[in-house]
Amino acid sequence: MIRDHFAELVTGLEARLADAGPGEPVARKTFALEAAQLGLRLFSGEAPVAWCGVLAPFDLLHAVGFEPCFVEFVGATLAGNGAAPPLLQLAEAEGADPTSCSFHRTALGAVASGLIPTPEVVIATSAPCTGGLAVVEELARRLRRPLFVLNVPHSRHQAAVEYLAEQLHDLVGFLAEVTGRSLHPGRLREVVELTNRARHAMVEIDRLTRHVPSPARPRDLVNFALVVSLLLGREAGVRVTGAYRDELERRARDRSPGLQGERLRVLWLQNRIQFRSPVEPLLEELGVAVAVDELNPVTWPPIDPEDPFPGFARRMLSTPLVGGLAHRLDHVVRLARGYRVDGAVNPCHWGCRQGSGARGLVDRALREAGFPVLNLEVDCVDQRTFAEGQVRTRIEAFVEMLAERRPARELEA
Amino acid sequence: MTAGSPPLVGFTCRHTPLAMLHAAGMTPFRLLPLTQAPDRAGAWLHDNLCPHVKRVLDRALDGDLPPLAGVVLMASCDAMRRLADAWGTARPDDRVAVLDLPMVDNPRSVAWLTAELERFRTELERWTGRTVTDAAIRSAAADLATLATRLDELAAAAAAGTLPGGWGALQAARNLTVTAPLDESGRHLQQLAGSITRGKDPDCPASLPVLLVGNLLPDPTALSLLEACGARPLADDLCTGARQLVAVTLDDVPDGQVTLRLAEALLAPPHCARTLCPGEPGRWARELATRARASNAAGVIAHVAKFCDPYLARLPALRLELREAGLPLLVLEGDCTSGSVGQHRTRIEAFVEMLAEGT
Repeated sequence: MIRDHFAELVTGLEARLADAGPGEPVARKTFALEAAQLGLRLFSGEAPVAWCGVLAPFDLLHAVGFEPCFVEFVGATLAGNGAAPPLLQLAEAEGADPTSCSFHRTALGAVASGLIPTPEVVIATSAPCTGGLAVVEELARRLRRPLFVLNVPHSRHQAAVEYLAEQLHDLVGFLAEVTGRSLHPGRLREVVELTNRARHAMVEIDRLTRHVPSPARPRDLVNFALVVSLLLGREAGVRVTGAYRDELERRARDRSPGLQGERLRVLWLQNRIQFRSPVEPLLEELGVAVAVDELNPVTWPPIDPEDPFPGFARRMLSTPLVGGLAHRLDHVVRLARGYRVDGAVNPCHWGCRQGSGARGLVDRALREAGFPVLNLEVDCVDQRTFAEGQVRTRIEAFVEMLAERRPARELEA
Repeated sequence: MTAGSPPLVGFTCRHTPLAMLHAAGMTPFRLLPLTQAPDRAGAWLHDNLCPHVKRVLDRALDGDLPPLAGVVLMASCDAMRRLADAWGTARPDDRVAVLDLPMVDNPRSVAWLTAELERFRTELERWTGRTVTDAAIRSAAADLATLATRLDELAAAAAAGTLPGGWGALQAARNLTVTAPLDESGRHLQQLAGSITRGKDPDCPASLPVLLVGNLLPDPTALSLLEACGARPLADDLCTGARQLVAVTLDDVPDGQVTLRLAEALLAPPHCARTLCPGEPGRWARELATRARASNAAGVIAHVAKFCDPYLARLPALRLELREAGLPLLVLEGDCTSGSVGQHRTRIEAFVEMLAEGT
């Protein structure tokens, strides 16, 4: 079922890209096509798949010859095409805790229904969440595949980088031992160079999307960095990020706003709602641009192709959701200021002990910095629980409040 | 605490290096989620977060704690990390140490935890102005091992029905050993050991043997309720129970190796659900099922705090393993209030009735 879905997507997107006229936006379509092709490879039953935690070093795994992916991709994809509810029900019937994260519950449902291809290996990461770690272990148990666990330290100092880098070396040894696939230094260098090229384009994208009004169209950068992380180390990653950079550069140069009539700008915290909901169209209708998603900007320095393991480790540790909250709070306040937003939207994904668990502290930090926060109590995957009327009313009230504050802020500026 | 008593240091997790705290001249004080404090943690921590950490924060916010010289929190799971964040913000004047706790037990994890413990030792020395020597850690570990051994004997007596007050009395003693100075705990355990009866305590109700597993069940009345409902734990595998204080022997460990050995011990079995064995996914559930079978328990009762991902995510595997072993499982989710266990009375009684019919 999932394979057919991706195959149809690939065919449709290839046709739309072929038909695109000059100057027509193609970055999002290129992104969607590469994501669909990734899905097709994952679910083809032919590629050597590694199901992973969300922080796994996907470019390193590409270099070893794997088709790696984080399990949350399954939940997001299935939610995106409306297929999550029956899988959530199945997972719950098998004992999955209904208060747990639905990205994970959907993946469990997909395993129970045989939708998930059996991987060669399973690689867990202890961050960003303990729920994710438990689910990846469960995948390894159910599918009877070898499991490797990367302990992502709580701190970011040099010793933590070294500890994580050593584990990445261990991972390469483990992969060689259990699958016979080994890492060729030349191949690793090529992969890291591709990663750095994509990173460079991502930094440019960060710079360009700071323009007011934003040159990015409302859905351009939804799930961007999360999916691009799966393309790092490949030409596809360079292609996608390059397409975005070029398109945004053109739009910024032409002063062509992504959202006509941008009135207000917001920071979107953590994940987007993955199923079709009225939230984004409503924001658009109200003239609110999502100027930046918390997880999109680049937080890591370039990786040294001659000695990449510390760089991979630094990248993992730089994720805002790793370690103590102080790092994340700095990050979101810096984004709010840098992207000149009026406020922030936090879809407090039900079941996320990591993200929603920090709701009160994130809210406080942003408010203290002068940015009101709308905390939406939603589930980003489970559309069964979505209360449209309530969400709509809260968004409208929030936008009204932001609009009233706007003149004062402009005066301050 | 009396005047002149060692200063108290709050902690929340059984993986905390208690011997190091004692060696620093401090008394570890487990921040048990037992309180009548109003729910104020909700302003900081989301509704769907572990009630253990929320009740602990409620205590802190409500002043329902003795004066603490500091707090040490293990970064063991998302909820504990969030508690550390919230504590630092809600009580900015408190000293808070956060120690990383690897998810797997292997040599690299041990080395990392050793470094964390060394960092913590330095921090403790800063807090107290005194040197924390290996000899002092060895000595404290020996004292704690004595307490742990005595608690094991008391647990055996509770299981056999020869401890007056049964599991409730045992739990009260367990709570004391993680909140009081060593000598006070030692005296109490000695006194309790002296009360063990030769034959079965006549007040001990007729009951069916069960294995009690899960994370937190620190309320002595909850344990007494289990017994009153006709369930007699043969043993337990709880964070606030048998796993809370585990004997660590450092006597023969030379200077310079003590922290390493302590790290090994903290990561060694008995494991809670959060500690994985990559070579054997699902080991936690398998081991518990094996243990339940070996103990001749008629069934297993799991008490798990709501929203606890490490446990809740592994319960389906435990259920499967126990089904294969022919052992029924009762899962009780608690919110760390005495009310939640009271609400479970009917379910426990029904479970015991079902077990009785099967025996």
